[in-house]
Amino acid sequence: MGSLFTPLSWNDTGFILTGVWNTVIISVVAIGFGTLLGVIVGFIRAESNRLVNTLLGGILDIFRSVPLIIQLILFSTYIGAIGHPLEPFVAGSIVLSLYSMAFMSEVFRSGFESVHKSMQIAARSLGMSYWQTIFYIRLPIGLRAVFPSWLGVALSVIKDSALVSVIGYMELLRTSDQLISRTQQPLEILIGVGIFYFIISYPLSLYGRYVERKMAL
Amino acid sequence: MKILKNIPVMAAALTVLFSVNATADQLDTVITRGTLNCGVVLDFPPMGYFDKNNEPAGFDVDYCNDLATALGVKSNVLNLTWGDRIPSLISGKTDVVVGSTSDTLERAKSVGFTYPYFVFKFQVFSKPGKNINSFDDLKKIKVGAALGTTYETEYLAYAEKKGWGKGNYTAFKSENDAFLGLYQGKVDAIISTNTNIATKLQSKEFKDYVAGPFVPNYDDVVGLITKRSEVSWINYLNLFLVHQIRDGKLDERYNKHFGSDAPADLIQALRDNK
Amino acid sequence: MDYQFHWNIVFQKMPEMLQGAFVTLHVSVLSMLIGIVIAVLLAIVKMNHSKPFCYVAIGWIEIARNTPALFQIYMAYFGLGALGIHLSPYVAVLSALIFINAGYLAETFRGGFMSIPKTQYSASKSLGMNSFQVYRYIILPQMFRRIYHPMTNQFVWSILMSSLGILVGMGELSGETQRLQSLSFRTLEFFIVAAVMYFIITKLVLFSSSLISRKLFRGEI
Repeated sequence: MGSLFTPLSWNDTGFILTGVWNTVIISVVAIGFGTLLGVIVGFIRAESNRLVNTLLGGILDIFRSVPLIIQLILFSTYIGAIGHPLEPFVAGSIVLSLYSMAFMSEVFRSGFESVHKSMQIAARSLGMSYWQTIFYIRLPIGLRAVFPSWLGVALSVIKDSALVSVIGYMELLRTSDQLISRTQQPLEILIGVGIFYFIISYPLSLYGRYVERKMAL
Repeated sequence: MKILKNIPVMAAALTVLFSVNATADQLDTVITRGTLNCGVVLDFPPMGYFDKNNEPAGFDVDYCNDLATALGVKSNVLNLTWGDRIPSLISGKTDVVVGSTSDTLERAKSVGFTYPYFVFKFQVFSKPGKNINSFDDLKKIKVGAALGTTYETEYLAYAEKKGWGKGNYTAFKSENDAFLGLYQGKVDAIISTNTNIATKLQSKEFKDYVAGPFVPNYDDVVGLITKRSEVSWINYLNLFLVHQIRDGKLDERYNKHFGSDAPADLIQALRDNK
Repeated sequence: MDYQFHWNIVFQKMPEMLQGAFVTLHVSVLSMLIGIVIAVLLAIVKMNHSKPFCYVAIGWIEIARNTPALFQIYMAYFGLGALGIHLSPYVAVLSALIFINAGYLAETFRGGFMSIPKTQYSASKSLGMNSFQVYRYIILPQMFRRIYHPMTNQFVWSILMSSLGILVGMGELSGETQRLQSLSFRTLEFFIVAAVMYFIITKLVLFSSSLISRKLFRGEI
């Protein structure tokens, strides 16, 4: 009489590593695009008038007021229903990027607004053009000021990438879920998963706090 | 300069060529693509599961492969949860779902069903010593089932009718989790399919557990599902299912996964229900 | 578009959706209340630096902040199950949310406390206040003002993250939506309505929070 469950074995290493890789790659993609879009949208919001701001703010608000898991389900179902089915990786990357953009644009907006008007005026009076003040003054200073907050959002994106599993993306947690079904060894597998996330997230969050402290001085 | 003059004509011809393509239905799409994207719920042994090499296996997976062979295309099995089945069809990720989908009239408003390809019975599976002789004995113990399955709905409707409420009921996220929950003692009994229970009884973990009463007056008749609008695709699938019986493939698959020829009452039920 | 919307089925099931929304509120409010109590304890223990307890507090805080919420829920539901501790989906989600809320809020509280200069304490003392009065009238009110907004955000986060109940079969708004859509297979309709309901809930929470803050702080912020 055979056992129903086959225990974890070395053969599973490749399977687990694929899950790890998938988590890393989708996080990098989402943080990358989220940052890029976040800088652009954040800048637009810092520069534009009240009407544009309210409008943009309202749209961004949706990303922050609806659970990510529902955004993922809705987007991947809807995009298919209108005839453009996407791979889970692509659909997940798009939703996760927009989601992180919504948070990052707030971060960058406050960064740009923290650069004092007088500094811009000073830069202009030194003969810099509008775009020069942006690229040489506001971007570097604004971005540096918000680095710790940006890191905080990035870390939460890494953790939230676990949710892309609901639309069928085989990231680390879904991989482990599958192994749990087969091996019935939830504790060992889950602790391994937890350690992985911790090893990535903890040093970065320590670094973020270190930078924050240094900047406060 | 004649060529230049002809450009609009060529463009028009190309447009016609592509617009023919636009009316291609699912059957054409699959054949042209050369791959069948076939959705299976892989935590529902012996219909669908992962073998120890983490490869898809099971009755439903074999049906996907048979269908791909019949179409002359490659088979691409996609792993779905119960909840993924419909979104995967609507979103075009799958062409067909071979996923033990109960053919209710409510669901048929949303998706297209083929003829039945299998009939399950729902059964109570309990820890040793619980003495479950009739469905009413479930009142006093903790019961679980996989979320979104027809037997969950049936049990909850029954419990409601009897006034038991949902208090001692636990929904599990998948079939496997329900068995894991039973094994770990989260619940005293679960409701599952007779086929799954029969397989589990063969294992050393569950050999002392008891297969109890069937859900009263209920056969779970399941079909393949596709987009509701793909009528000619459903036609093809129906003929495929008929051929599975006629060409002895059903027996072959049944033998492989359940250790015998398909029982006469199953074949009768499939014929009656179509 | 190859999809026809059927809305009437969603309206028929509205009572069940609302019931789900109630469970969502229920679990997030409870996870906040218990989370706050534990967070206060963790913050005090961490600031006191008494060795063994301090490590427990740091461990709790860092694990909560550096692992995904879904991982915590799986751990509570499947992980503990392997140890013979069987939590219902509701309790599993609740305890995971409490665990995380406590971890984040502990840091919020500690930060709020540290941000108040020590000189205020001695200044108040020299005005003749006793320790209780210093905390009651000087330190805590200022601290509360600083942690009020992070707390509101944490509450909104709890509401949104309780949606992970969908993955362990809990009957909160998302889980209920998932169950209802599996009966009729109207995925888009049900999830669109659920999204709108979440949006309204979070907006209501943020709106009442700003009303309360205006009452409490009278524009001092």
